[in-house]
Amino acid sequence: MRQLDIPTGKHVSRRQLLAGSAALGSMILATGLTGCGGTANAAVHDIAFWHLLSGGDGVKMQALISAANKMTPGAVVHPTVLAWGPPYYTKLAMASAGGRPPELAIMHASRVPGYAPGGLIDPWDMGLLAEHGVTAADFAPRIWEKSQHNGQPFSIALDSHPFVMFYNTEVAAIAGMLGADGQLQAPASPQEFLETAREMQKVTQAHGLSFGYLGSGSQMWRLFYTLYKQHGAAMELTPGQPMKVDRDAAIESLEFMASLFDDTVAAKSGDISTGIAEFARGDSGMLFSGVWELPTLQKAGLPFDAATIPTLYGTPAAYADSHSFVLPRQLNVDDGKRRAVYKFVSDVLKGSLSWAQAGHIPAYQPVVQSQEYQELTPQIHYANAADIIAYDPESWFSGSGSDWQTFFAEHVQNVLLGRDKASDGWDAFEHRTNTLLSRPNPV
Amino acid sequence: MSSPTTTATPRSSAIAPPARIISRRRRDNINGWAFAAPFLAFFLVFLVWPLLYGFFMSMTGKSLTGANDSLIGFANYAEALADSDMWRSLGNTLYFTVISTVPLVLVALVMAALLNVGLPAQWLWRLSYFAPYLLASTVVSLFFTWMYNPQLGLINDSLSKIGLPKVAWLNDPNVAMWAIVIATLWWTVGFNFLLYLAAMQNIPAQHYEAASLDGAGAWRQFFSITLPQLAPTTVMIVLLQVLASLKIFDQVYQMTAGGPSGSTRPVVQYIFETGFTGYRLGYSAAISYIFFGLIVIVSVLQFFIARRRSA
Repeated sequence: MRQLDIPTGKHVSRRQLLAGSAALGSMILATGLTGCGGTANAAVHDIAFWHLLSGGDGVKMQALISAANKMTPGAVVHPTVLAWGPPYYTKLAMASAGGRPPELAIMHASRVPGYAPGGLIDPWDMGLLAEHGVTAADFAPRIWEKSQHNGQPFSIALDSHPFVMFYNTEVAAIAGMLGADGQLQAPASPQEFLETAREMQKVTQAHGLSFGYLGSGSQMWRLFYTLYKQHGAAMELTPGQPMKVDRDAAIESLEFMASLFDDTVAAKSGDISTGIAEFARGDSGMLFSGVWELPTLQKAGLPFDAATIPTLYGTPAAYADSHSFVLPRQLNVDDGKRRAVYKFVSDVLKGSLSWAQAGHIPAYQPVVQSQEYQELTPQIHYANAADIIAYDPESWFSGSGSDWQTFFAEHVQNVLLGRDKASDGWDAFEHRTNTLLSRPNPV
Repeated sequence: MSSPTTTATPRSSAIAPPARIISRRRRDNINGWAFAAPFLAFFLVFLVWPLLYGFFMSMTGKSLTGANDSLIGFANYAEALADSDMWRSLGNTLYFTVISTVPLVLVALVMAALLNVGLPAQWLWRLSYFAPYLLASTVVSLFFTWMYNPQLGLINDSLSKIGLPKVAWLNDPNVAMWAIVIATLWWTVGFNFLLYLAAMQNIPAQHYEAASLDGAGAWRQFFSITLPQLAPTTVMIVLLQVLASLKIFDQVYQMTAGGPSGSTRPVVQYIFETGFTGYRLGYSAAISYIFFGLIVIVSVLQFFIARRRSA
């Protein structure tokens, strides 16, 4: 999943197109053959599967799909890749509302509350999933809890992908920040963090930290919500009521964020890709980023490790979301197809070690506990994030790539650029959120 | 097909009794409707029906998920009129319309006038001025997004080479709309230019000959002959341009997605967001109708202004 808005990975989609057409070809061939045989149980189920994973994630997902297709001769999964964010969710909602959605789709767990109550997706039948050896106990508690809606599992998580910190081990070593275990000694307060960053800046001569945010509400929100949740504060969005929020914690988090961009700790302004490029060049000691950037950094070839974002306000917390499988509601459910979908999902979950190589923390615990995963670095150094992840507050308008995150950018970007006061920016955003909460709930 | 009927009518009307005229007229009518039918069907199904259905939808709480289908009267309109985001996006659309229409008309006029002076290789100029208009909005947006890139872009690179400060084109709320206007100007000015050029070449040469005999210089001729002669064209260009600018969506959506800080979000994008990403189809239909009303008012005003001028 590229979280950037720059369209890249052209050859990836071409490859997927080729794979798709090859699959299509074999499907036509297969249906032709069964037509001759005429036996019902030899029928091949075509499963339409929509997802929003492109770039490195897209390649990994395609491999998982191909592997699953080989394991199940009776079903062929045809993926359709759509652009991350509003384009994907708009199409998925419209397809479901129109009654002709794909049999299976990937959603961010944080977007499920906008879909489940409106009847756009169906709950999972855990009994049927148990036939393939997947049960509730196989998921980390926080992830499993998130997949529930009104007591029913509406999504089956593939992973959790938290917002974490990558750091340059060489820079950290010269700055004297590495502990005996070779990992960064995590600062425990905002002040300590700024000092750490300044020490690293002395080594890199450029910046201590890389964090690009310009134009991306998602990116600003990820860091903000991590810091906010580290205050141990809650945030609740209930339609018809004002937002329940700890205003002081929110403003303190924003003020700390704004204090980072002083051209010493971090560059004054820059977008996501600028931040990643700076860290990859070795011009900074740390990078705040989603785990999905791991393959990009590994390709850059710099010496680095990763950890959860240091606990600066007492309570460990990390913003995260999950890629989750959902069953878009069909007008007529084809039982054979649905069974094939369950089989496919269980196969992908069991094969999710390769998904972990792309940086994500698998949701399926048997994979996390496997020897192979325990030896995977730097993944294992932030695997503890699964216990401290914080999802977006639930509502029909929140979640990854939602307009709500765009609204956050509208009010907060000027705070981070030093043009507005943190309290003004926050109050404006809170007011905007309250307006949304006061409107009729469309789902 | 009209010519045989017109030549036949006087002869037959002279001889034939009135009843036959009526039946003939009826047959002509049937033929006429038959010819118009394909367009009429298209017009009814894809224009009139959506227009009516959209208005009905704006009276309901309809959402994309199918929830609350009930009639709620004008509640959506009341909500929209009190919605500061709607006013802001409407303001952005009007702002863009004003600051884009002026240069799009003036620059087109200047370009046409320069060409009409008699530059060599006219076809080359005409082609290069008009060529950008043939590009898709996505292509233009991508070009300009790269050129406006604060670090790697051509524009900032050139600015820094001549010692000017770099500008955060698409990331500065005060500059972003102008950046979009510049891109739009480059993209669509060719169409207005072509209209102006055609109009200029239609001005009779005798006017200029007479004026120069009377001792009028080039500037005098431009202001006293060319501009007044172009008046009807100018009215038409302004009308077309205002309507085109009010529809602004593509470039903004692709270049800034309405940002930074909502400073470029046009009302069409707000309609799209409320309806499709925010699920509230009924409410977004209501905003569309408010916007539609505004366009009707602008068109009617322009129609009257144009009529008074030509009268």
